[in-house]
Amino acid sequence: MLEIKNLNAYYDDFHVLKDVSIDIKKGEIIVMLGPNGHGKSTFLKSICGLVSKIRGTIKYNGQNIAGLGSEKLVNMGITYIAENRELFPEMTVLENLKLGAYSKTARPYEARNLEKVFALFPRLKERSNQLASTMSGGEARMLAIARGLMSNAEFLAIDEPSLGLQPNLRDEVARIIKEINKQGITVMVVEQNIPQITELAHRLYVLEEGRISFEGSKDEALGNDHLKEIFLGM
Amino acid sequence: MFVEIIDVIISGMINGSVYALMAVGLTLIYGVSKAFNFAYGSFYSMGGYLAWMIFSVAVINSYFIIFILSIPVLLVLGYLIEKVLVAPLRKRDDWEIKVMMITLGLALLLDNSYQVLFGARMKSLPSILEGSLEIGEFILAYQDIVIFILSIGGILLFRWFLNNTRTGMSVRAVAQNPAGAQIVGIPKEFVFSATFAISTVMVGTGGILLAQKYFVTPTGGWDILVKAWVITAFGGMGSIKGSLYAAFILGMLEAFVGWYFGMTWVLIALFAVLLTTLAIRPQGLMGKWG
Repeated sequence: MLEIKNLNAYYDDFHVLKDVSIDIKKGEIIVMLGPNGHGKSTFLKSICGLVSKIRGTIKYNGQNIAGLGSEKLVNMGITYIAENRELFPEMTVLENLKLGAYSKTARPYEARNLEKVFALFPRLKERSNQLASTMSGGEARMLAIARGLMSNAEFLAIDEPSLGLQPNLRDEVARIIKEINKQGITVMVVEQNIPQITELAHRLYVLEEGRISFEGSKDEALGNDHLKEIFLGM
Repeated sequence: MFVEIIDVIISGMINGSVYALMAVGLTLIYGVSKAFNFAYGSFYSMGGYLAWMIFSVAVINSYFIIFILSIPVLLVLGYLIEKVLVAPLRKRDDWEIKVMMITLGLALLLDNSYQVLFGARMKSLPSILEGSLEIGEFILAYQDIVIFILSIGGILLFRWFLNNTRTGMSVRAVAQNPAGAQIVGIPKEFVFSATFAISTVMVGTGGILLAQKYFVTPTGGWDILVKAWVITAFGGMGSIKGSLYAAFILGMLEAFVGWYFGMTWVLIALFAVLLTTLAIRPQGLMGKWG
Protein backbone atom coordinates (compact mmCIF):
# COMPACT_ATOMS: atom_id res chain seq x y z
CA MET A 1 0.00 0.00 0.00
CA LEU A 2 2.79 2.41 0.93
CA GLU A 3 6.31 2.04 -0.43
CA ILE A 4 8.67 4.59 1.02
CA LYS A 5 12.12 4.75 -0.55
CA ASN A 6 15.10 6.82 0.58
CA LEU A 7 12.99 9.36 2.39
CA ASN A 8 14.91 12.41 3.63
CA ALA A 9 13.31 15.22 5.60
CA TYR A 10 14.68 18.56 6.73
CA TYR A 11 13.65 21.32 9.10
CA ASP A 12 15.42 24.36 7.66
CA ASP A 13 18.99 23.07 7.38
CA PHE A 14 18.57 20.34 9.92
CA HIS A 15 18.64 16.90 8.29
CA VAL A 16 16.13 14.84 10.30
CA LEU A 17 15.44 11.69 8.25
CA LYS A 18 18.25 10.00 6.38
CA ASP A 19 17.31 7.57 3.59
CA VAL A 20 14.46 5.86 5.39
CA SER A 21 12.85 3.03 3.40
CA ILE A 22 9.75 1.21 4.61
CA ASP A 23 7.06 -0.94 3.02
CA ILE A 24 3.60 -1.03 4.51
CA LYS A 25 1.08 -3.60 3.33
CA LYS A 26 -2.66 -3.17 3.36
CA GLY A 27 -4.26 -4.20 6.64
CA GLU A 28 -1.08 -4.12 8.70
CA ILE A 29 -0.38 -2.47 12.02
CA ILE A 30 3.14 -1.13 11.95
CA VAL A 31 4.74 0.16 15.12
CA MET A 32 7.79 2.39 15.00
CA LEU A 33 9.82 2.76 18.15
CA GLY A 34 12.77 4.94 18.91
CA PRO A 35 14.18 7.47 21.33
CA ASN A 36 12.66 10.93 21.56
CA GLY A 37 13.80 13.48 19.03
CA HIS A 38 15.19 10.95 16.55
CA GLY A 39 12.63 11.67 13.81
CA LYS A 40 9.65 9.38 14.42
CA SER A 41 7.07 12.18 14.34
CA THR A 42 8.81 13.76 11.37
CA PHE A 43 8.54 10.46 9.55
CA LEU A 44 4.77 10.25 10.04
CA LYS A 45 4.31 13.90 9.15
CA SER A 46 6.39 13.46 5.99
CA ILE A 47 4.09 10.68 4.78
CA CYS A 48 1.04 12.80 5.55
CA GLY A 49 2.18 15.90 3.67
CA LEU A 50 2.92 18.00 6.76
CA VAL A 51 6.66 18.50 6.23
CA SER A 52 7.49 20.97 3.49
CA LYS A 53 11.07 19.92 2.77
CA ILE A 54 11.37 16.23 1.85
CA ARG A 55 13.28 14.16 -0.73
CA GLY A 56 12.74 10.59 -1.87
CA THR A 57 9.72 8.69 -3.11
CA ILE A 58 6.53 7.72 -1.32
CA LYS A 59 4.35 5.44 -3.42
CA TYR A 60 0.76 5.10 -2.32
CA ASN A 61 -1.17 2.44 -4.25
CA GLY A 62 1.41 2.82 -6.99
CA GLN A 63 1.29 6.61 -7.26
CA ASN A 64 4.14 8.86 -6.08
CA ILE A 65 2.73 11.20 -3.47
CA ALA A 66 5.94 12.72 -2.12
CA GLY A 67 5.62 16.49 -2.02
CA LEU A 68 1.82 16.58 -2.06
CA GLY A 69 0.23 18.67 0.71
CA SER A 70 -2.08 17.33 3.41
CA GLU A 71 -5.18 18.83 1.77
CA LYS A 72 -4.60 16.45 -1.18
CA LEU A 73 -3.48 13.45 0.87
CA VAL A 74 -6.42 13.55 3.28
CA ASN A 75 -8.63 13.36 0.20
CA MET A 76 -6.71 10.29 -0.95
CA GLY A 77 -7.21 8.54 2.39
CA ILE A 78 -4.05 9.33 4.34
CA THR A 79 -4.66 10.94 7.73
CA TYR A 80 -2.36 12.02 10.54
CA ILE A 81 -3.36 12.00 14.21
CA ALA A 82 -1.13 14.35 16.17
CA GLU A 83 0.59 13.52 19.45
CA ASN A 84 -0.42 16.92 20.83
CA ARG A 85 -3.94 16.37 19.49
CA GLU A 86 -4.30 19.72 17.64
CA LEU A 87 -8.03 20.01 18.33
CA PHE A 88 -10.10 23.14 17.75
CA PRO A 89 -10.46 24.37 21.34
CA GLU A 90 -13.38 26.77 20.92
CA MET A 91 -15.52 24.27 19.04
CA THR A 92 -17.75 21.53 20.34
CA VAL A 93 -16.87 17.85 20.15
CA LEU A 94 -19.38 17.47 17.33
CA GLU A 95 -17.91 20.38 15.35
CA ASN A 96 -14.42 18.93 15.76
CA LEU A 97 -15.68 15.62 14.41
CA LYS A 98 -17.47 17.28 11.50
CA LEU A 99 -14.27 19.08 10.54
CA GLY A 100 -12.57 15.69 10.58
CA ALA A 101 -14.83 14.89 7.63
CA TYR A 102 -13.79 18.07 5.79
CA SER A 103 -12.25 16.30 2.79
CA LYS A 104 -14.32 15.72 -0.32
CA THR A 105 -14.03 11.95 -0.11
CA ALA A 106 -15.17 11.89 3.53
CA ARG A 107 -18.21 14.16 3.15
CA PRO A 108 -20.64 11.59 1.72
CA TYR A 109 -19.81 9.23 4.62
CA GLU A 110 -20.07 11.84 7.39
CA ALA A 111 -23.26 10.51 8.97
CA ARG A 112 -22.17 6.88 8.73
CA ASN A 113 -18.70 7.58 10.15
CA LEU A 114 -20.16 9.66 12.96
CA GLU A 115 -22.28 6.70 13.99
CA LYS A 116 -19.25 4.39 13.84
CA VAL A 117 -17.15 6.80 15.87
CA PHE A 118 -19.84 7.22 18.52
CA ALA A 119 -20.14 3.44 18.78
CA LEU A 120 -16.39 3.25 19.35
CA PHE A 121 -16.29 6.21 21.77
CA PRO A 122 -19.61 6.40 23.66
CA ARG A 123 -18.24 9.16 25.89
CA LEU A 124 -17.85 11.48 22.93
CA LYS A 125 -21.52 11.06 22.12
CA GLU A 126 -22.43 12.03 25.69
CA ARG A 127 -20.23 15.09 25.39
CA SER A 128 -20.92 16.06 21.82
CA ASN A 129 -21.97 19.61 22.74
CA GLN A 130 -19.09 20.27 25.09
CA LEU A 131 -16.21 22.53 24.00
CA ALA A 132 -13.03 20.64 23.16
CA SER A 133 -11.01 22.92 25.46
CA THR A 134 -12.96 21.70 28.51
CA MET A 135 -12.14 18.00 28.03
CA SER A 136 -9.69 16.00 30.08
CA GLY A 137 -6.43 14.82 28.55
CA GLY A 138 -7.72 11.31 27.97
CA GLU A 139 -10.98 12.47 26.38
CA ALA A 140 -9.14 14.93 24.17
CA ARG A 141 -6.88 12.09 22.98
CA MET A 142 -9.94 9.99 22.12
CA LEU A 143 -11.43 12.97 20.28
CA ALA A 144 -8.25 13.38 18.25
CA ILE A 145 -8.38 9.73 17.20
CA ALA A 146 -12.10 9.97 16.49
CA ARG A 147 -11.59 13.09 14.38
CA GLY A 148 -8.97 11.20 12.37
CA LEU A 149 -11.43 8.36 11.77
CA MET A 150 -14.00 10.81 10.43
CA SER A 151 -11.75 11.39 7.42
CA ASN A 152 -12.67 7.94 6.09
CA ALA A 153 -8.96 7.15 5.87
CA GLU A 154 -7.46 3.97 4.46
CA PHE A 155 -4.19 4.72 6.21
CA LEU A 156 -3.97 6.24 9.67
CA ALA A 157 -0.70 7.57 11.05
CA ILE A 158 -1.03 7.80 14.82
CA ASP A 159 1.63 9.78 16.66
CA GLU A 160 2.29 8.62 20.25
CA PRO A 161 -1.33 7.87 21.14
CA SER A 162 -0.56 6.87 24.72
CA LEU A 163 1.56 9.92 25.55
CA GLY A 164 0.56 11.28 28.93
CA LEU A 165 -2.16 8.70 29.52
CA GLN A 166 -2.55 6.55 32.63
CA PRO A 167 -2.11 2.78 32.15
CA ASN A 168 -5.83 1.86 31.98
CA LEU A 169 -6.35 4.43 29.23
CA ARG A 170 -3.38 2.98 27.36
CA ASP A 171 -5.22 -0.34 27.30
CA GLU A 172 -8.23 1.50 25.93
CA VAL A 173 -6.13 3.12 23.19
CA ALA A 174 -4.64 -0.25 22.27
CA ARG A 175 -8.10 -1.82 22.11
CA ILE A 176 -9.31 0.97 19.82
CA ILE A 177 -6.34 0.71 17.47
CA LYS A 178 -6.98 -3.02 17.18
CA GLU A 179 -10.66 -2.36 16.46
CA ILE A 180 -9.84 0.30 13.84
CA ASN A 181 -7.49 -2.15 12.14
CA LYS A 182 -10.19 -4.85 12.16
CA GLN A 183 -12.41 -2.50 10.19
CA GLY A 184 -9.83 -2.64 7.41
CA ILE A 185 -7.77 0.46 8.08
CA THR A 186 -4.00 0.20 7.80
CA VAL A 187 -2.35 1.75 10.84
CA MET A 188 1.12 3.00 11.61
CA VAL A 189 1.79 3.94 15.22
CA VAL A 190 4.82 5.77 16.48
CA GLU A 191 5.51 5.19 20.16
CA GLN A 192 7.91 5.10 23.03
CA ASN A 193 8.24 1.54 24.21
CA ILE A 194 4.70 0.95 25.47
CA PRO A 195 4.05 -2.81 25.83
CA GLN A 196 0.30 -2.58 25.11
CA ILE A 197 0.95 -0.86 21.79
CA THR A 198 4.02 -2.88 20.79
CA GLU A 199 1.93 -6.00 21.38
CA LEU A 200 -0.35 -4.96 18.48
CA ALA A 201 2.38 -4.73 15.89
CA HIS A 202 2.45 -7.05 12.91
CA ARG A 203 5.91 -5.64 12.25
CA LEU A 204 8.23 -3.33 14.18
CA TYR A 205 10.67 -0.66 13.09
CA VAL A 206 13.16 1.22 15.21
CA LEU A 207 14.29 4.67 14.18
CA GLU A 208 17.52 6.04 15.62
CA GLU A 209 19.20 9.29 14.60
CA GLY A 210 17.03 9.51 11.52
CA ARG A 211 17.86 5.99 10.26
CA ILE A 212 16.10 2.64 10.52
CA SER A 213 18.20 0.57 12.93
CA PHE A 214 15.89 -2.44 13.21
CA GLU A 215 13.15 -4.06 11.20
CA GLY A 216 11.34 -7.26 12.06
CA SER A 217 8.74 -9.11 14.09
CA LYS A 218 8.07 -8.76 17.82
CA ASP A 219 9.93 -11.99 18.58
CA GLU A 220 12.97 -10.88 16.64
CA ALA A 221 12.88 -7.60 18.55
CA LEU A 222 12.80 -9.41 21.90
CA GLY A 223 15.87 -11.37 20.93
CA ASN A 224 17.80 -8.27 19.89
CA ASP A 225 20.35 -7.22 22.50
CA HIS A 226 20.81 -3.74 21.08
CA LEU A 227 17.08 -3.02 21.42
CA LYS A 228 17.09 -4.24 25.00
CA GLU A 229 19.92 -1.87 25.67
CA ILE A 230 18.34 1.26 24.22
CA PHE A 231 14.89 0.70 25.66
CA LEU A 232 15.53 -1.08 28.91
CA GLY A 233 19.11 -0.17 29.63
CA MET A 234 19.91 -3.86 30.06
CA MET B 1 -31.66 67.77 27.53
CA PHE B 2 -33.35 64.38 27.83
CA VAL B 3 -34.22 64.32 24.13
CA GLU B 4 -30.68 65.31 23.26
CA ILE B 5 -29.22 62.46 25.29
CA ILE B 6 -31.55 59.98 23.63
CA ASP B 7 -30.42 61.37 20.26
CA VAL B 8 -26.80 60.90 21.23
CA ILE B 9 -27.42 57.32 22.34
CA ILE B 10 -29.20 56.51 19.09
CA SER B 11 -26.44 58.07 17.03
CA GLY B 12 -23.89 56.07 19.05
CA MET B 13 -25.81 52.85 18.43
CA ILE B 14 -26.03 53.48 14.69
CA ASN B 15 -22.37 54.34 14.24
CA GLY B 16 -21.51 51.50 16.60
CA SER B 17 -23.38 49.01 14.41
CA VAL B 18 -21.48 50.01 11.26
CA TYR B 19 -18.18 50.08 13.17
CA ALA B 20 -19.00 46.61 14.46
CA LEU B 21 -19.50 45.33 10.91
CA MET B 22 -16.17 46.80 9.82
CA ALA B 23 -14.15 45.94 12.93
CA VAL B 24 -15.32 42.32 12.82
CA GLY B 25 -13.85 42.11 9.32
CA LEU B 26 -10.52 43.51 10.45
CA THR B 27 -10.31 41.27 13.50
CA LEU B 28 -11.22 38.30 11.30
CA ILE B 29 -8.15 38.80 9.10
CA TYR B 30 -5.97 39.15 12.16
CA GLY B 31 -7.54 36.14 13.85
CA VAL B 32 -7.08 33.88 10.84
CA SER B 33 -3.77 34.96 9.34
CA LYS B 34 -2.16 37.03 12.15
CA ALA B 35 -1.51 39.74 9.57
CA PHE B 36 -2.64 43.33 9.69
CA ASN B 37 -4.28 44.92 6.67
CA PHE B 38 -3.37 48.60 6.31
CA ALA B 39 -5.42 48.97 3.13
CA TYR B 40 -8.60 48.22 5.06
CA GLY B 41 -9.65 51.89 5.12
CA SER B 42 -9.09 52.19 1.39
CA PHE B 43 -11.54 49.33 0.81
CA TYR B 44 -14.03 51.39 2.81
CA SER B 45 -13.60 54.24 0.30
CA MET B 46 -13.78 51.71 -2.51
CA GLY B 47 -17.27 50.73 -1.37
CA GLY B 48 -18.30 54.39 -1.36
CA TYR B 49 -16.87 55.03 -4.83
CA LEU B 50 -18.41 51.87 -6.27
CA ALA B 51 -21.80 52.98 -5.01
CA TRP B 52 -21.22 56.49 -6.33
CA MET B 53 -20.25 55.17 -9.78
CA ILE B 54 -23.30 52.94 -10.01
CA PHE B 55 -25.46 55.78 -8.82
CA SER B 56 -24.11 58.62 -10.97
CA VAL B 57 -22.55 56.92 -13.99
CA ALA B 58 -25.00 54.07 -14.49
CA VAL B 59 -27.81 56.26 -13.08
CA ILE B 60 -29.20 53.49 -10.95
CA ASN B 61 -31.00 54.87 -7.97
CA SER B 62 -31.64 51.72 -6.05
CA TYR B 63 -29.55 50.68 -3.09
CA PHE B 64 -30.69 47.13 -3.61
CA ILE B 65 -29.04 47.05 -7.03
CA ILE B 66 -26.02 48.95 -5.70
CA PHE B 67 -25.45 46.20 -3.12
CA ILE B 68 -26.10 43.41 -5.62
CA LEU B 69 -23.48 44.87 -7.97
CA SER B 70 -20.89 46.06 -5.44
CA ILE B 71 -20.65 43.00 -3.20
CA PRO B 72 -19.38 40.59 -5.89
CA VAL B 73 -16.91 43.24 -7.12
CA LEU B 74 -15.55 43.74 -3.59
CA LEU B 75 -15.40 39.98 -3.03
CA VAL B 76 -13.45 39.30 -6.22
CA LEU B 77 -11.11 42.28 -5.75
CA GLY B 78 -10.38 41.27 -2.17
CA TYR B 79 -9.68 37.70 -3.26
CA LEU B 80 -7.37 38.74 -6.11
CA ILE B 81 -5.47 41.29 -4.01
CA GLU B 82 -4.79 38.63 -1.38
CA LYS B 83 -3.71 36.06 -3.98
CA VAL B 84 -1.43 38.43 -5.88
CA LEU B 85 0.03 40.66 -3.15
CA VAL B 86 -0.24 38.93 0.21
CA ALA B 87 -0.09 35.18 -0.47
CA PRO B 88 3.41 35.17 -2.06
CA LEU B 89 4.81 37.00 0.99
CA ARG B 90 3.55 34.38 3.39
CA LYS B 91 6.30 31.98 2.35
CA ARG B 92 9.03 34.37 3.50
CA ASP B 93 10.55 35.18 6.87
CA ASP B 94 9.01 38.05 8.83
CA TRP B 95 6.07 37.98 6.47
CA GLU B 96 3.74 39.75 8.94
CA ILE B 97 5.81 42.92 8.66
CA LYS B 98 6.05 42.58 4.90
CA VAL B 99 2.27 42.24 4.67
CA MET B 100 1.91 45.46 6.66
CA MET B 101 4.29 47.24 4.30
CA ILE B 102 2.65 46.02 1.13
CA THR B 103 -0.88 46.79 2.32
CA LEU B 104 0.29 50.24 3.40
CA GLY B 105 1.68 50.74 -0.12
CA LEU B 106 -1.59 49.46 -1.56
CA ALA B 107 -3.53 51.95 0.57
CA LEU B 108 -1.48 54.87 -0.79
CA LEU B 109 -1.85 53.58 -4.33
CA LEU B 110 -5.62 53.17 -4.01
CA ASP B 111 -6.17 56.54 -2.31
CA ASN B 112 -4.19 58.36 -4.98
CA SER B 113 -5.97 56.45 -7.72
CA TYR B 114 -9.30 57.58 -6.29
CA GLN B 115 -8.05 61.16 -6.42
CA VAL B 116 -6.92 60.80 -10.05
CA LEU B 117 -10.09 59.03 -11.14
CA PHE B 118 -12.74 60.86 -9.16
CA GLY B 119 -11.05 64.13 -8.15
CA ALA B 120 -10.45 65.45 -4.67
CA ARG B 121 -13.95 66.81 -4.22
CA MET B 122 -16.34 65.02 -1.89
CA LYS B 123 -18.98 62.79 -3.45
CA SER B 124 -22.37 62.48 -1.88
CA LEU B 125 -24.94 59.75 -2.19
CA PRO B 126 -28.67 59.98 -1.79
CA SER B 127 -30.31 58.77 1.37
CA ILE B 128 -31.26 55.10 1.37
CA LEU B 129 -34.70 56.01 2.69
CA GLU B 130 -36.08 59.55 2.98
CA GLY B 131 -38.22 60.78 5.81
CA SER B 132 -38.19 60.25 9.51
CA LEU B 133 -40.05 58.77 12.37
CA GLU B 134 -41.38 61.42 14.76
CA ILE B 135 -42.46 60.49 18.22
CA GLY B 136 -43.31 63.52 20.29
CA GLU B 137 -40.18 65.60 20.54
CA PHE B 138 -37.74 63.30 18.95
CA ILE B 139 -37.00 62.53 15.38
CA LEU B 140 -35.40 59.39 14.06
CA ALA B 141 -34.39 59.39 10.39
CA TYR B 142 -35.50 56.28 8.49
CA GLN B 143 -32.06 56.30 6.90
CA ASP B 144 -30.47 55.64 10.30
CA ILE B 145 -32.90 52.84 11.07
CA VAL B 146 -32.08 51.16 7.75
CA ILE B 147 -28.33 51.55 8.28
CA PHE B 148 -28.67 49.98 11.72
CA ILE B 149 -30.78 47.07 10.47
CA LEU B 150 -28.48 46.35 7.52
CA SER B 151 -25.32 46.44 9.66
CA ILE B 152 -26.76 44.14 12.28
CA GLY B 153 -28.15 41.95 9.49
CA GLY B 154 -24.68 41.78 7.94
CA ILE B 155 -23.13 40.73 11.24
CA LEU B 156 -25.81 38.07 11.83
CA LEU B 157 -25.36 36.76 8.30
CA PHE B 158 -21.63 36.54 8.91
CA ARG B 159 -22.21 34.72 12.17
CA TRP B 160 -24.48 32.27 10.41
CA PHE B 161 -21.80 31.77 7.76
CA LEU B 162 -19.12 31.04 10.38
CA ASN B 163 -21.25 28.54 12.29
CA ASN B 164 -23.19 26.77 9.57
CA THR B 165 -21.22 26.58 6.35
CA ARG B 166 -18.26 24.36 5.61
CA THR B 167 -16.14 27.33 4.53
CA GLY B 168 -17.17 29.24 7.65
CA MET B 169 -16.21 26.29 9.84
CA SER B 170 -12.85 26.06 8.10
CA VAL B 171 -12.25 29.79 8.74
CA ARG B 172 -12.85 29.22 12.45
CA ALA B 173 -10.67 26.12 12.37
CA VAL B 174 -7.70 27.99 10.90
CA ALA B 175 -8.18 30.84 13.41
CA GLN B 176 -8.26 28.43 16.36
CA ASN B 177 -5.55 26.00 15.33
CA PRO B 178 -3.76 26.31 11.97
CA ALA B 179 -1.86 23.04 12.50
CA GLY B 180 -5.09 21.19 13.29
CA ALA B 181 -6.72 22.70 10.21
CA GLN B 182 -3.88 21.43 8.04
CA ILE B 183 -4.18 17.95 9.55
CA VAL B 184 -7.87 17.60 8.67
CA GLY B 185 -7.05 18.70 5.12
CA ILE B 186 -8.34 22.28 5.07
CA PRO B 187 -6.64 24.23 2.26
CA LYS B 188 -5.19 27.06 4.37
CA GLU B 189 -4.25 29.24 1.42
CA PHE B 190 -7.84 29.28 0.21
CA VAL B 191 -9.09 30.13 3.68
CA PHE B 192 -6.67 33.08 3.92
CA SER B 193 -7.84 34.45 0.57
CA ALA B 194 -11.51 33.88 1.36
CA THR B 195 -11.14 35.63 4.71
CA PHE B 196 -9.50 38.62 3.09
CA ALA B 197 -12.25 38.76 0.46
CA ILE B 198 -15.04 38.55 3.03
CA SER B 199 -13.49 41.27 5.18
CA THR B 200 -13.21 43.47 2.08
CA VAL B 201 -16.94 43.03 1.53
CA MET B 202 -17.66 43.88 5.16
CA VAL B 203 -15.72 47.14 5.17
CA GLY B 204 -16.83 48.06 1.64
CA THR B 205 -20.46 47.58 2.64
CA GLY B 206 -19.80 49.79 5.66
CA GLY B 207 -18.44 52.37 3.21
CA ILE B 208 -21.63 52.24 1.14
CA LEU B 209 -23.81 52.56 4.24
CA LEU B 210 -21.92 55.51 5.70
CA ALA B 211 -21.33 57.33 2.39
CA GLN B 212 -24.85 58.74 2.50
CA LYS B 213 -24.12 60.34 5.88
CA TYR B 214 -20.47 61.38 5.67
CA PHE B 215 -19.56 61.78 1.96
CA VAL B 216 -16.89 59.86 0.03
CA THR B 217 -13.37 61.31 -0.19
CA PRO B 218 -10.09 59.82 -1.48
CA THR B 219 -8.51 59.71 1.98
CA GLY B 220 -11.66 59.19 4.03
CA GLY B 221 -10.65 55.59 4.73
CA TRP B 222 -7.86 56.50 7.14
CA ASP B 223 -10.26 57.69 9.79
CA ILE B 224 -12.09 54.36 9.47
CA LEU B 225 -8.85 52.36 9.55
CA VAL B 226 -7.82 54.11 12.78
CA LYS B 227 -11.23 53.56 14.36
CA ALA B 228 -11.47 49.93 13.25
CA TRP B 229 -7.97 49.38 14.57
CA VAL B 230 -8.75 51.01 17.92
CA ILE B 231 -11.89 48.87 18.21
CA THR B 232 -9.98 45.71 17.32
CA ALA B 233 -7.22 46.39 19.82
CA PHE B 234 -9.71 47.50 22.49
CA GLY B 235 -11.86 44.42 22.00
CA GLY B 236 -8.87 42.07 21.89
CA MET B 237 -6.99 41.25 18.67
CA GLY B 238 -8.69 38.38 16.90
CA SER B 239 -11.74 38.20 19.15
CA ILE B 240 -14.96 38.70 17.19
CA LYS B 241 -17.10 38.99 20.29
CA GLY B 242 -14.67 41.52 21.76
CA SER B 243 -14.86 43.61 18.58
CA LEU B 244 -18.65 43.67 18.73
CA TYR B 245 -18.72 44.97 22.30
CA ALA B 246 -15.88 47.37 21.62
CA ALA B 247 -17.59 48.80 18.52
CA PHE B 248 -20.73 49.71 20.46
CA ILE B 249 -18.81 51.04 23.46
CA LEU B 250 -16.62 53.20 21.26
CA GLY B 251 -19.53 54.26 19.03
CA MET B 252 -21.32 55.45 22.14
CA LEU B 253 -18.21 57.12 23.52
CA GLU B 254 -17.70 58.90 20.22
CA ALA B 255 -21.28 60.17 20.22
CA PHE B 256 -21.10 61.45 23.79
CA VAL B 257 -17.68 63.06 23.46
CA GLY B 258 -18.69 64.63 20.12
CA TRP B 259 -21.85 66.02 21.65
CA TYR B 260 -20.37 67.26 24.92
CA PHE B 261 -16.84 68.35 23.95
CA GLY B 262 -17.00 68.62 20.14
CA MET B 263 -15.87 66.28 17.34
CA THR B 264 -12.19 67.33 17.59
CA TRP B 265 -11.99 65.45 20.89
CA VAL B 266 -13.33 62.18 19.57
CA LEU B 267 -10.08 60.55 18.43
CA ILE B 268 -8.25 61.81 21.52
CA ALA B 269 -10.91 60.23 23.71
CA LEU B 270 -10.81 56.96 21.76
CA PHE B 271 -7.06 56.68 22.18
CA ALA B 272 -7.26 57.67 25.85
CA VAL B 273 -9.73 54.85 26.46
CA LEU B 274 -7.65 52.42 24.39
CA LEU B 275 -4.41 53.24 26.20
CA THR B 276 -6.05 53.02 29.62
CA THR B 277 -7.58 49.66 28.74
CA LEU B 278 -4.35 48.27 27.34
CA ALA B 279 -2.42 49.46 30.40
CA ILE B 280 -4.73 47.40 32.62
CA ARG B 281 -5.53 44.56 30.20
CA PRO B 282 -2.85 44.34 27.50
CA GLN B 283 -4.82 41.63 25.69
CA GLY B 284 -7.87 43.90 25.31
CA LEU B 285 -11.40 43.24 26.53
CA MET B 286 -11.71 39.66 25.32
CA GLY B 287 -8.35 38.86 23.81
CA LYS B 288 -6.22 35.94 24.87
CA TRP B 289 -2.57 35.82 25.69
CA GLY B 290 -0.27 34.59 22.98
